Amino acid sequence: MNTIVNYLRSLFLLELLKGLKLTGRYFLSTKFTVQYPEEKTPQSNRFRGIHALRRYANGEERCIACKLCEAVCPALAITIEAEPRDDGQRRTTLYDIDLFKCVYCGYCEEACPVDAVVLTRVYEVAFDRRGQNIMTKQKLLAMGDEHETQIAADRTTDARFR
Amino acid sequence: MADDSKVTIQVDGQTVEARKGAMLIEATDAVGIDIPRFCYHKKLSVAANCRMCLVEVEKAPKPLPACATPVTEGMVVHTASPLARGAQKGTMEFLLINHPLDCPICDQGGECELQDVAMGYGGDISRYAEGKRVVPNPDIGPLISTDLTRCIHCTRCVRFGEEIAGLRELGATGRGEHTTIGTYIKHAVASELSGNVIDLCPVGALTSKPYRFTARPWELRQQAGVAMHDGVGSNFWLHTRGSRVLRAVPRDNESINEVWLADRDRYSYLGLNASDRLLTPQVKRDGAWHPCDWSEALRVAAQGLREAAGEEGGEQLGFLAAPNATAEELFLLQKLARGLGSAHLDHRLRQGDFSAQAAEPRHPWLGMPVADLEGVDAALVIGSHLRKEQPLLNHRLRKAALRGAQVAFLNPLEFDSNFPVAHSLVASPVALVTELAAVAAALAGASGKAAPAGLIPEGTAPGEAHAAIAAHLSEGERATVLLGALAVAHPAYGQLAALARFIADASGACLGFLAPAGNSVGAALAGVLPHRLPGGDDAAASGLDARAMLEQPRRGYLLLGVEPELDCWDPATAASALDQAACVVALSAFTSPDLLELADVLLPIAGYAETSGTAVNAAGDWQSWNGAVPPPGEARQGWKVLRVLGNEFGIEGFAQRDSREVLEELRAACADLAPDNAAPSAPTPTQPVLDGLVRVGEVPIYACDAVVRRAAALQATDDHVEACVHLAPADAEQLGLNGVAQVSVTQGDLHLTLPLSVDARVAPGSVWIPAGVPGSSRGPACGPVTIDKA
Amino acid sequence: MAENQTELLSAASCAAIDAELAKYPDDQRQSAVMAALTITQDANGGWLTRELMDAVADYLGMPAIAVYEVATFYSMYELKPVGRHKLCVCTNISCLLRGSEEVVAHLSERLGIGLGETTPDGRITLKEVECLGACANAPMLQYGDRYVEDLTPEKLDQLLEGLE
Repeated sequence: MNTIVNYLRSLFLLELLKGLKLTGRYFLSTKFTVQYPEEKTPQSNRFRGIHALRRYANGEERCIACKLCEAVCPALAITIEAEPRDDGQRRTTLYDIDLFKCVYCGYCEEACPVDAVVLTRVYEVAFDRRGQNIMTKQKLLAMGDEHETQIAADRTTDARFR
Repeated sequence: MADDSKVTIQVDGQTVEARKGAMLIEATDAVGIDIPRFCYHKKLSVAANCRMCLVEVEKAPKPLPACATPVTEGMVVHTASPLARGAQKGTMEFLLINHPLDCPICDQGGECELQDVAMGYGGDISRYAEGKRVVPNPDIGPLISTDLTRCIHCTRCVRFGEEIAGLRELGATGRGEHTTIGTYIKHAVASELSGNVIDLCPVGALTSKPYRFTARPWELRQQAGVAMHDGVGSNFWLHTRGSRVLRAVPRDNESINEVWLADRDRYSYLGLNASDRLLTPQVKRDGAWHPCDWSEALRVAAQGLREAAGEEGGEQLGFLAAPNATAEELFLLQKLARGLGSAHLDHRLRQGDFSAQAAEPRHPWLGMPVADLEGVDAALVIGSHLRKEQPLLNHRLRKAALRGAQVAFLNPLEFDSNFPVAHSLVASPVALVTELAAVAAALAGASGKAAPAGLIPEGTAPGEAHAAIAAHLSEGERATVLLGALAVAHPAYGQLAALARFIADASGACLGFLAPAGNSVGAALAGVLPHRLPGGDDAAASGLDARAMLEQPRRGYLLLGVEPELDCWDPATAASALDQAACVVALSAFTSPDLLELADVLLPIAGYAETSGTAVNAAGDWQSWNGAVPPPGEARQGWKVLRVLGNEFGIEGFAQRDSREVLEELRAACADLAPDNAAPSAPTPTQPVLDGLVRVGEVPIYACDAVVRRAAALQATDDHVEACVHLAPADAEQLGLNGVAQVSVTQGDLHLTLPLSVDARVAPGSVWIPAGVPGSSRGPACGPVTIDKA
Repeated sequence: MAENQTELLSAASCAAIDAELAKYPDDQRQSAVMAALTITQDANGGWLTRELMDAVADYLGMPAIAVYEVATFYSMYELKPVGRHKLCVCTNISCLLRGSEEVVAHLSERLGIGLGETTPDGRITLKEVECLGACANAPMLQYGDRYVEDLTPEKLDQLLEGLE
């Protein structure tokens, strides 16, 4: 008896049709594949991408070289050198973040007493040359300048929970 | 004297024994019970103005300050009861009312007593919402930076100035909220110990200016070190980050530097980071310097010295070492010199007279441990600007003087002192010997002991002051006679030393030598002397001393850490001898202009923080340390360079693998030698004929050695001295130089023009022209001089 | 600083200071510092210069900074020139409750100066001080050695007219 049933099933390609049914269902249902890079997934306002250094509205850099971020960094990715600036203020002369070492934990941002170092929403990072992995002070400040509107908006949204 | 009996008290249920009359906080500190405090400091008087140490004492109606409450028998104390904790928390809240929240930019952040105590004893929130006060910051000099907004008015710095520095410089002016610490009128804090207020300040109001903003305490590694700039051998911690020394702070050692550090020792590390460090070996060819590798440099050096020696062996070679080199370096230098057959080696670069060197002790020393100096009852200091020359020995002697000791000075200038001086004899170098002889004569008369024949000139009549000094020295239970750097530089040093020895013997006082540098004693022990071997034994044949080997030029020289133009007693003679020499090999940490001019091979060596080493201080304490940072560039530790140089010459005994092995050899040689100032023999010192005007070449505090001369912050202080002629008013009058700005100075055939200052502190007959200062007269540090209108 | 500056003090001042010094043991000369500063201030038109303070320090054998501490601590010593008449108005709690604000406002309006200022003609200096211990008759002010109490605008006008 079994033999006959199996014969009929294979004759009418039942298995194939079953498979096609599944294919058909997914073919007609809503898609969730994102067409990166044309399309992008939504991000949380707490997204932790690469770093930036912020400035005050008057253009003065926020960072005061307290080195708390350097101390808290679990991956030892931050290197800071400081000395008195010409006007006597405490400022960094070197502020490097090594993106190869960074684990994007966000502790640096937590530690910063003046909200200078922040993690932006930018995550598209590619290097084609050794040395590009180092975010220098200039690069970090440029990141901050470029994304300030977004950074400020994200901090405002999140302020209630901090 | 204080009552030594003990009382028993109860602290937090623990039974504590304390000295009767001690303050409660001393008793709790001794057993490790922690009471928070800001104004109390064990070395300063009790002010009780911060109120942080309030504790509950049973039967007292209110909490009492532990720092100002004497212990009494049966006292029951609670340091952590709700009442005590409440009082401490309240005090903390008041203190924080006006304290800014700028810890992230404060150099004290991370090592701040206020932070620590606020964490431990403060509340978590302030109820104060009004504006905080802001105080302008006065500029109090190049060493200390001020942020007076952070000040909590503990007045430790004020008390330090009055009680330790002996200069009341800082003060608390204004009242209540308007109180500020300042000098009111801005003048640089002029004490040679001023840097200690940085350590005393419990907050970040007074911080180190050269260190400002460069690092945070948690990044620093600390390494023990020993200061080499005076005979004290102060202990310090070197704080380093990476391969740089960023600051030095005192390392407590009650028997040497207590908790203090002189500014010279604290800031000399700046010289290590100077821009003219020698980074690669260099050889001179056809008058031009060529950097090269070590093997070539050592080969050229060895070949050069070998050729200079020629057939006479070591006879044509001279070896000069700075007395602040490590004992290991000095010992190997000695081995090298003697291995090459030369007995011409010396470290006494600034000594003016060697005629009585056989009488120099085998193990010279201060005559007592450093700490005992504060217990003397009488002292005679001969030829020393003690306050600037040995700041911490001066501090000990000051303590003795404040206790009532009779301290007398005999100097060619009237130096400022920060304690009461019983007698200050000021005499020109010519009269220095006769003045000292007068004291000796007074003692000979009083004690009946006869002075060695010819020591006291005929017809010496002691005056009132001489008799008084003699009496103080004989009456004092513990008295001392100290010989300082100006005596050593005197052309009749042998005679001065013999007189000092007689005075000490006749009065029962103890004779002491103020070792001019950190390792002067160590150099003597290591045998860097023409007439002594390591361990103090007499050499078979005495070689030429530091002065003679330059006056009778050799064909080859090896210099260890010496800058001939600034470190030698007679720079001009030194320069001419080195200039004539066929080969001069210099081991140096710096590219000094004079070495570039005079040397043929420059070998870069490590500075004091970069090498392991040992120093023997004035009191005969052997102190070793490890290098804190690696030497910069191609520089190597000095003992390694000397060892390889020894191998290059094929001399036996240069196979040590580390500096400890070198030290062990030296210690074995010195095993039977205890500090003792007894004279091995009694030669007759020459009595040079001096008359007319005589130069006094005092070495200013910040010109003592190559590293200090390069410490920019020290050079910016008021103690920095420019080359200048100081004349007594009487001499200026006689020479018709009143109102003249520039004078011409003549020493032998050297002429130069220097600014003139008529100075009442100078004894008639003395001409004070600093030595060790670029641009000063290059003649002998102490010798005849002629002053004319420019 | 090192040179002797005592010649700045007049013979009369020195005599007055010596009279004060006589009240204290010989080794406690600094005890007379407050009296000495008052004498010096009175002789100098009501204020102290740094040179005068140095002179007092020299005369009493004290560190100069210790004299500055005293002079800056007490409100009766003036470190800037003052007018011929000095009116010290108490604004502490009792006087405040009894209307010292009106007193200050009235004086300011009449004289055209604020607290701590001097009239352009150098006649009057207005000064704010803390409690002078006359709370029972608040509000009050001190003029010279005299307390003027229970102040009213009329009383103030009367006082001001009396000052040349």
